Amino acid sequence: MGTVSMTGVCKVFGGTQGVRALDNVDVQLAEGEFMALLGPSGCGKSTLLNILAGFEGQSAGAISFDGKSVRRPGPDRGVVFQEAALLPWLNVWQNVIFGPQVQGVPRADYEPRAIEILRVVGLEAFHKSLPVQLSGGMRQRVGIARALVMQPKALLMDEPFGALDAQTRLSMQQLLLDVWQRFKTTVMFVTHDIDEAILLADRVCIMTARPGRIVRDIPITLPRPRSIDDLLSPDFVRFKAEIMAEMRGVH
Amino acid sequence: MSSITSDARPRRRFAGGRTLPRIGALLASLILPILLVALWQWAGTNGGLFGGALPTPDRVWTAWTKWAFGTPGMGLNPYSGTWAESVMFSTIRVAKGFALAILIGVPLGIAIGWSRLFAMVVDPTVQWLRPVPITAWLPISIAVFGISDFGSIFLITIGAFYPIVINTTHGTRDVEKNWIRAALMMGSSPFTVLRRVVLPAALPSIFTGLRIGLGIAWTAVIVSEMVAVKSGLGYVLWDAYYVGRMDIVIADMISIGLLGYLSDFLIVRVEHWVLRWRRLQSFNT
Repeated sequence: MGTVSMTGVCKVFGGTQGVRALDNVDVQLAEGEFMALLGPSGCGKSTLLNILAGFEGQSAGAISFDGKSVRRPGPDRGVVFQEAALLPWLNVWQNVIFGPQVQGVPRADYEPRAIEILRVVGLEAFHKSLPVQLSGGMRQRVGIARALVMQPKALLMDEPFGALDAQTRLSMQQLLLDVWQRFKTTVMFVTHDIDEAILLADRVCIMTARPGRIVRDIPITLPRPRSIDDLLSPDFVRFKAEIMAEMRGVH
Repeated sequence: MSSITSDARPRRRFAGGRTLPRIGALLASLILPILLVALWQWAGTNGGLFGGALPTPDRVWTAWTKWAFGTPGMGLNPYSGTWAESVMFSTIRVAKGFALAILIGVPLGIAIGWSRLFAMVVDPTVQWLRPVPITAWLPISIAVFGISDFGSIFLITIGAFYPIVINTTHGTRDVEKNWIRAALMMGSSPFTVLRRVVLPAALPSIFTGLRIGLGIAWTAVIVSEMVAVKSGLGYVLWDAYYVGRMDIVIADMISIGLLGYLSDFLIVRVEHWVLRWRRLQSFNT
């Protein structure tokens, strides 16, 4: 469950003369695998995520999720957006239960789960707050809780911590490590932060821009469970050196 | 919407929430009307306004109290005690026409804003009919509905419809793309997206349309009553003018102003309540 297969995916914006945002991208994700898609802005990594999410169609190539062709968004692929994209007129609790509610899941089924997930992300005291009353990091935790409560087979995260300050980002990375350790869903994590990619992922796929391609696929063998302390380990630094060398060659 | 939160909140220049400044604001709002009335009274008693064509405020006030509280009957003063009735006729027409404009305008605006195909088919016609002023619809209204309530309601609906439909369309088109994507990702059907994301997101724009539309509705009811119906404040206005009762004309005008002001106040209260989440937002971002 939660396996991803993308083969020969191309995306061209703006007709035949347009920009080639993705050029023959192949990605396979095994069940429970955490993959970080690393690359400079504008390299098409978000586009790849949007195609897997079902928000955009591909120009060519095949995308399947759990063996089925992806055509539209669905609760089996929980998306965490860069700016959280919470519904501002709903409070934290209403935002978190929105998914099960619109899917017609019985209240008795989703309520205990939603309470537990809010506790895991540390927001149980804020269930009545409106998104605007929360800090950026808290909003993003609601975004993660909202995706997890649907029990998705995969999490698609589009630079979810990109807009946060360094301090908050670290604590969110730790939180995500803990959450992942617990739920073990397949994750596709888009980022331009090398540290973040190495710290979180089992595999780092490096993308280049114009045309968008995956040029390297590096397994990160740091032992799990991990914590933000691993950012200082010699193994971590070795991976970082390797990736930086790769990316320097890319530019 | 920025996700960066700042502790430096904009300081409000007027603290409307506290009692004392609120009374201060009320007093401030009364300065100009009192000055105007005083000037009007002074000009009238010192030589007559425009050769006596316009009555002074005290005469308007006397006429108004008779109109409002006098005993009804067809004696020397046909207006005596009929004010409440006229106000009611006009208000009910505005309420009906405005409600109809909302019932048609909001769904149509959402459809135009949501579906590109629907917009291509319907929007040009709306834009092409929009410049036709409500006064130009009067002959058709009378020809079709005769001298009846329906003609008046028809005009009010047409007048209020355009701002409602246009603002609803804008609100629907401007909905944050990721809110819709998030709702779809969580398993919403297109209808659920419309009801639970697009409609609430478009509400601020819709309310803007409602406020403009309500203003036009009051214009439309007066115009239609002057020509196409034989009751209400618009009818009294024109009738009083014909028999030279400028005191009633002015009292009528002030009544219309008050009713328009009151109905706008009501809508703003509803808006504040419905859009509570937005008030918080404007302080924080």
